[in-house]
Amino acid sequence: MREVISIRNLEYIYPDGTKALEDINLDIFKDESVGLIGPNGAGKSSLLLHLNGILRGTKGAVKVLGMEIEDKNLAKIRQKVAIVFQEPDDQLFMPTVFDDVAFGPLNLGYSKEKVKERVKKALKKVRMEDYEDKCSHHLSLGEKRKVSIATVLSMDPEILILDEPTISLDPRARRELIEFLKELNMTKIIAGHDLELIVEICSRVVLLDEGKIITNGNPREVLRNRSLMELHGLEVPLSLRQQKITR
Amino acid sequence: MHLPEIDKFAHLKSPLHSWDPRVKIISISILIFSVVLVRNLQVALVGFCLTTVLIFLSRIPFSFVFFHLKWVLLFTLALSAILSFTISGNLLFRLLFLSISREGVNLGILISLRAITATLLIFLMMGTAKFSLSLKALQKMRIPDKLVQLLMFTYRYIFLFMDEERKMIVAANSRGGLKRRDFSTLKTIGGIAGMLLVRSFERTERIREAMFSRGYNGKLNIIDEFTLNSGDFIKASITIAVALMLNFPWVMK
Repeated sequence: MREVISIRNLEYIYPDGTKALEDINLDIFKDESVGLIGPNGAGKSSLLLHLNGILRGTKGAVKVLGMEIEDKNLAKIRQKVAIVFQEPDDQLFMPTVFDDVAFGPLNLGYSKEKVKERVKKALKKVRMEDYEDKCSHHLSLGEKRKVSIATVLSMDPEILILDEPTISLDPRARRELIEFLKELNMTKIIAGHDLELIVEICSRVVLLDEGKIITNGNPREVLRNRSLMELHGLEVPLSLRQQKITR
Repeated sequence: MHLPEIDKFAHLKSPLHSWDPRVKIISISILIFSVVLVRNLQVALVGFCLTTVLIFLSRIPFSFVFFHLKWVLLFTLALSAILSFTISGNLLFRLLFLSISREGVNLGILISLRAITATLLIFLMMGTAKFSLSLKALQKMRIPDKLVQLLMFTYRYIFLFMDEERKMIVAANSRGGLKRRDFSTLKTIGGIAGMLLVRSFERTERIREAMFSRGYNGKLNIIDEFTLNSGDFIKASITIAVALMLNFPWVMK
């Protein structure tokens, strides 16, 4: 399998001196779905922001699709690595859905016709094609989440990163999103606390705590390890618990 | 939640709605300048009546417009009262030890009429097209990009800001924080205002990250679909002619 992200000895210290990431080594391969789990403050979001150059490590190196994270590669990397942020209202900053989905392709310098085509295609993919003219603040949270994904799909990325994608969603919207993500054929990195989603979608899981990778492996094996989960402020997902229901 | 949307009736069909936003903004801006420069009470009244006719033509409900005029009315009412008592001139009547002058009352009415008419015209200018379209028009008119972006973000996030403020007030109320009229309540209100600022600041950081992730480089690129036709120019000519007439020397007398 082709390696799409390679992280070597990455360290990141915030300007206030807080160490967010320490000695991170990780490879992610094409079409893999990787879950990134850990307690609050483990460094998940900080790690994600390194993958398209929003944050730059104080030590170490990150390579995306063979390109070093450097100023000269940033435009290309940001087209290929799409981040869907935790809070849809941070992602949807334009007045209408169309403008938001068109924002990325327009910044890539595409023609008016190509942008329109990309917007239509991306909205169709998330089944929101009738929402082009709607204002973002009129959408429900589930709809906002879908449009947020469309805003990055319109850039035709190779790697999709989702930070807490199911947070605050009702069960129906969560299920729709999971089914959609299952159908989406591309490299996916999903960070969050929804461990059932990780079990269902991901082929690998990375457990992060205090800025370090604790373990990296098969989701069912890692998430079933009760002592490991509890040690790092997590819980074994219900679907993996050894319970028998007796009548 | 009630959202104070100026473009709530942008979907209607009227001669003002079909007007090209760029030409409309320029023409109505000229009319606003003309209205605020009027010095004659009768002419100001004519300007107000014409604007009311335009509101009628735009099909925006009067109730919607006048409901949103309440703050302007409050301000102009207070200003008129102060002017009536403080401008010297022919005595109209005396209220206890205060004398009210005809000139003061006239000036108060004139300023109120100008302010109300200008606000109504702003409603016509911004309320007859989607706000996003008006922003695109401003950008097309080469209004500085930073100013357009500032307006756009203000409009996009004002609803969220209000929502957060409402949630914080509900939270404070549920713990009995805003029920009294004392210093401690004032402190709570101050705390809410401060927290809103902190949250807004944090949000700007996150929005910045989201924008840069999608290739933002400081310039706002948007697609516009504006087309000019003869109707736009006819409407503009009529509006500008009215604006000029309101301030024509023979009218000013």
